[in-house]
Amino acid sequence: MAREQGLPLWLGITYALAWWVAQALIPAALGSGVDAMIDKDVRGLAQWSAVVFALGVVQAVTGILRHRCAVYTWLNAAYKTVQLTSRQATRLGATLPKRLSTGEVVSVGNSDIAHIGNAMDIILRGSGAVVAVAVVTVIMLSASLPLGLLVLIGVPVMALAITPLLKPLHRRQHAQRDLQGDLATRAGDIVAGLRVLRGIGGEQVFADRYRVESQRTRGAGVRVASVESLLEGAQVLLPGLLVAAVTWLGARFALAGELSAGELVSFYGYAVFLIAPLRTLTEAADRLTKGAVAAKRVVRILSLEPEITGGAAQLRHGDLRDEESGVVVREGVVTALAAAIPEEAIAIADRLGRYSDGRVTLGGVPTEDLPKAALRAHVVVADNAAALFAGTLRDELDVRGNGDVEAAVHAACAEDIVDALPDGLDTHVAEAGREFSGGQQQRLRLARALTADPEILILVEPTSAVDAHTEARIAERLAKARAGRATLVVTTSPLVLDRADHVYYVEHEKAVAEGTHRELLTASTAYRSTVTRGEDR
Amino acid sequence: MSREILPVADKAQVRAYARRLMVKYPRRLSAALALHGLAALSGLAGPALLGGLVQDVADGARDVNVSVIALAIAGFVAAQAVLTRFAVFASSRLGERVLAELREEFVDRVLALPLSTVERAGSGDLITRTSRDVDALSRTVRHAVPEILIALVTGVFMVGALFVVGGPLMAVPSLLAVPLIWISTRWYLNRSGPAYLREGAAYATLTEGLAQTVEGARTVEALGLEDRRRDRTDEDIRGSYAAERYSLSLRTVWFPAVEMGYVIPVVATLFIGGLFYTQDWVTVYQVTAGTLYIQQLVDPLDRLLSWIDELQVGSASMARLLGVANVPDDRAPSGATPDGDAIKAEDVRYAYREGHDVLHGIDLDVRPGERLAMVGPSGAGKSTLGRLLAGIHGPRTGTVTVGGASLVELPLGELRGQVALVTQEHHVFKGTLRDNVLIGRPEADDDAVRQALEAVDAWEWAEKLGLDAEVGSGGVSVSPAQAQQLALARLVLADPHTLVLDEATSLIDPRQARHLERSLAAVLDGRTVIAIAHRLYTAHDADRVAVVEDGRISELGSHEELVEAGGPYAALWDSWRR
Repeated sequence: MAREQGLPLWLGITYALAWWVAQALIPAALGSGVDAMIDKDVRGLAQWSAVVFALGVVQAVTGILRHRCAVYTWLNAAYKTVQLTSRQATRLGATLPKRLSTGEVVSVGNSDIAHIGNAMDIILRGSGAVVAVAVVTVIMLSASLPLGLLVLIGVPVMALAITPLLKPLHRRQHAQRDLQGDLATRAGDIVAGLRVLRGIGGEQVFADRYRVESQRTRGAGVRVASVESLLEGAQVLLPGLLVAAVTWLGARFALAGELSAGELVSFYGYAVFLIAPLRTLTEAADRLTKGAVAAKRVVRILSLEPEITGGAAQLRHGDLRDEESGVVVREGVVTALAAAIPEEAIAIADRLGRYSDGRVTLGGVPTEDLPKAALRAHVVVADNAAALFAGTLRDELDVRGNGDVEAAVHAACAEDIVDALPDGLDTHVAEAGREFSGGQQQRLRLARALTADPEILILVEPTSAVDAHTEARIAERLAKARAGRATLVVTTSPLVLDRADHVYYVEHEKAVAEGTHRELLTASTAYRSTVTRGEDR
Repeated sequence: MSREILPVADKAQVRAYARRLMVKYPRRLSAALALHGLAALSGLAGPALLGGLVQDVADGARDVNVSVIALAIAGFVAAQAVLTRFAVFASSRLGERVLAELREEFVDRVLALPLSTVERAGSGDLITRTSRDVDALSRTVRHAVPEILIALVTGVFMVGALFVVGGPLMAVPSLLAVPLIWISTRWYLNRSGPAYLREGAAYATLTEGLAQTVEGARTVEALGLEDRRRDRTDEDIRGSYAAERYSLSLRTVWFPAVEMGYVIPVVATLFIGGLFYTQDWVTVYQVTAGTLYIQQLVDPLDRLLSWIDELQVGSASMARLLGVANVPDDRAPSGATPDGDAIKAEDVRYAYREGHDVLHGIDLDVRPGERLAMVGPSGAGKSTLGRLLAGIHGPRTGTVTVGGASLVELPLGELRGQVALVTQEHHVFKGTLRDNVLIGRPEADDDAVRQALEAVDAWEWAEKLGLDAEVGSGGVSVSPAQAQQLALARLVLADPHTLVLDEATSLIDPRQARHLERSLAAVLDGRTVIAIAHRLYTAHDADRVAVVEDGRISELGSHEELVEAGGPYAALWDSWRR
C-alpha cells in the first residue's frame, strides 16, 4: 500500500527529514551564538542569531509541509481502504453476510482505516527521526567524544527505562476502556428503553445502576491516572538526570577549556532534543504493528469471492420454475405460496431468486447458466430483512431511476407515511429507516420493489406487520400494480391469498396442493388450518 | 444524520455551569494547582544553574564546584518529578470525579424527560448525545482542561522567572511574538470550531455509508444497487476530502505562524540580549538563562494552544448535554383527583403539525372493565388516540379524563397507577430476566414475577433460561416475540386499572398470540383493556369494537352488532373469514 502512495509519501519523508534536521541544528547554532556573545563579537552574534532564525523558518515551513503530506497520505490510505472495502462489499453481495460478520467489516470503517492511515503517517515521521538522531550523533561525537557517548548511551537507556511502566499502563487503560464501553452500553440501553421506563416507572433503579457503573469507571480512571502520573514523573526525572549529568561532565570540560561555554549550552540542547525523535521511534513500532494487523484484516476481506456466479446463456422471458418443489411463477399472473412451515417457503424463494443453488429454470434455461447481473435485473426477491438506505426517500425508492414512485407508494398503501414527512418524497431519511415503525418500513420496502418493476417479483411476507385494513387494500392494489408481469407472494394471509390468481400450498418442501384460495380452503384441511390463523375452534 | 429535536443550552448556561463546576471542589482544585505550581517552580532551577555555569566559564573562573551544581540540578529535577507525579494524579482524580458527576447528572436529566417528549422525539438525537457528546466531554475534562491549567500555571511561572532572573529588560524581546500568536490564534479559533464539526460529520457519513453498504450487501445485490453504492462512497469521500482540506488550510496558516511565534522570542532574546551584554547592561548568566527559559516556555504554550480547540468542542457537547434539562415539563398537576376508573374522551382533536389535525372530534366512553378493540387502516389515528387515552399527550381541543380528572393534569406517579401504554416497540434491558420484569413494580417478589410471566405465556421459556439469566445487549438473545411478552409481563406486574395495548402482540406468532391474549384476559379480568390490533380475531374476542377511519370513529359496537350492520367492518371480516 505504501508504494501506491507515491509522491506525497516521498515528499513527506523529505520534508520530515529537513524538519528534524533543522530542529537538531538549533542547539548548535544557539551555542555558537552564546560563544560569539561572550567574545563580544556583534557580527558573529548577528550571524548566529540569523542562523537560528533561518532554522526556525525552515522548521516552520517544512513542519507544515510535512504535516500536509502526512494528512494527504493518511487520507489517501483511509479513502482507498474504504473504497476497496465498499467495492468488495457490493461485489460479494448476498455472499457477504454468509461469510463475514458485519461487525468484522464495519470495524474496517471504525478503526482499521485509522490504523492504516496512522501507519502511513509514522513511516513519514519515523524515517526522518532516524536521520535526525544520526545527524546529532555525528555533531556531538565530533565536538566531544566522552560527552557525545554519554548522550548517545544515556538517551536510549532513558527511553528504555520508561518501558516497564508501559505494560501496567496499557493494561489499566484496557480495563478502563472496557468499563467505559460497558457504561456507554448502559446509557444507550437506558435511552433505547426510555419509553418503557418513563411509561411504567423504574427510573430510579436504572439511575442507581448507572451511578454504580459510573463510579466503577471512575475508579478505573483513577487507577490509570496513578500509573500515568508516574510516567509523567519519570519523563521529567530521567531526561532531567541526563541533563544534570551532561551539565556536570560538560562544565568540567568547559572549565578545563576543552569546551566552549556555547558548546556546553549546545549539549544541554541536544540532550533535551533527542527525547522527541526517540519517542517517535517507539511510537512507530506500535503503530506499524497495528497497521499491519488492520491491513491483514482488509486483505482477508478483499480475498473473498462471491459464492454464486453466472453463466453466459441468453436470458429468455418465460416461466420461472423450481423443479424441486414444483412451484411455477407464471408470466402475467399473481401466484401465491403458502407453507405450513415459513422457512420452507423462504428456501423456495431463495432458490427461485438464485441466492442458493437448486434446479431452477427460467424460460426453460437453468438459471445457473444465466449471467448473474441479467438474472438479478429480471428477477427481484424482496424480503423483510432488506435494508433501507439513507438518502432522499424518492431516490431510495426509485432504485432503477425510471420507476413510477407515486403509483408504487399508492399500491403499497404508504401515502400516509410520505404525507407525514416534512418534505414528502424529497425528505432525507436516516439509514435503516430508523425513524419508521416496523409496519412502515415494510410498506416502504414494498413500494421500492414495486417501483423497480422487474419482470418477475418475488415478495416474501410483504404484509406481515400491517393491519388487516391496510393488508386488504395492499392485496387489492398489488394485482393492479403488477398487471402483465409475473409475481410470487409468499404469505399465509387469507386477505392476500384470496386476491392471488393461483395458490400453491407447500408441505415438506413440495407443493402438495394448488388452485385458487377458495378451492384450496375446501380441498385441503391442512391449508385451511394454516391460513385461517387458528380461527377454527 | 438524525434531526436535532431536543433543545441545546445557550452559551451563558454553559458558562455558568462550567464556573459552578470549577468552584465546586475548591480545596481539591487549589491543591492540584499548587502542586503544579511547585513542580513548575522546581523546573526553573535548571536553566538558572546552567546560566550560572556558563557565566563562570565565560569569566574563566577555576574554583567552581561543578559537582555541587550538577547535584543541585539533579535534586531540583527529582523534586520536580515527584511534584509532577502528585500534581498529575491530583488533577486526574479531580477530573474523574467531575466527569462521573457530569455523566450521572446527564442520565438523571434523561430519565426525567417528559413522557410526551420521549414518545415524540425518537431516540436518534438522544443516542447521539449519550454517546458522542459524553465522549467528547470526557476528552475535554480528562485532557484539555488539566493540560490548559497546567500550561497556564507553568507559563506564568516561566514568565515570572524570566523577570526575576533577567530583569524586565530581558523580557522585552519576547514580547515581539505576542501579537503574532494572538492574532493568528484568534483567526484560527474563529474558524476551527465549525471546520472540525464539519470534518467529523463528513467522516461519520463516510463510515456510516460503508456500514450501510456492508449491512445491506444482499439488498445491494438483489436490487442491483452496486453502482449507486459505489457512487455514494465516492461522493462521501469527496465530501470528507473537501472538509479535511478546509481544516488543513486553516492549519497551514496557523501552524507556521505559531511556530514563528516560538522562534522569534528565542532569537530576539539571544540577539538583543547579546547586544545588551556588549553594552554591559546584562550578564552572560542573564542572557543564557533567559534564552533557555524562553525555549522552555514553548512547551506549555504549545500545550495550551493545541488543546484550546478541544475546549470549544467540549463546550458544544456540554451545551447539548445540558440542553436536555431545558425541555419544559409537560404536566401541570392541578390537584384534581380521579373519582372512579372511567376513561372518557370528549370532542378530541389533535395535530402533530399545526393545521393538520389527525383526530377530528372524537367522543368515546370507555366502560370500566370492558375490552375495547380499535381497528382501522394505518394512519387513521388509532395510535394517536391510544396515546391520548393513556395520558401521554394532551388533546389540542376537548378533554380526556379518568374519573372526571384530566389525564394530563395528574402527576406522573398517579397517572401510572391509573393507565399504562404498551406499544409494539419493545426493548429488553441489559440485566437479568427478573430485572426486566421488576421494572413494573420493583418491590415485587419472585412469586409475583412468575405469575406475571405465566399470564403472558412466557413462563415456559423464562423458567428454562432462569430468572437470573443475563439478557439484553451482550446477554442471552431474546426474540422480538419474547420481548413483547416481557413488556406485557411488566404491565401485569404494574397492574394499572386501564391498559392501552398498541399492537402489543404483533410480533408473536398468530396462533400463540391468540392464546396469549386469552390467558392475559383471564389475569386482567376486571381491568379495562383498550387494544389496538391488526389481527381481526382480537376484535372478535373483544366486548366492543371501534373502527377508526380518517381520524374519526366510524363504527362502534360489539363484533356481532357490526357484522350485522353490514358496514366496512363486516366486509373486512367477511374477506378475512372466507
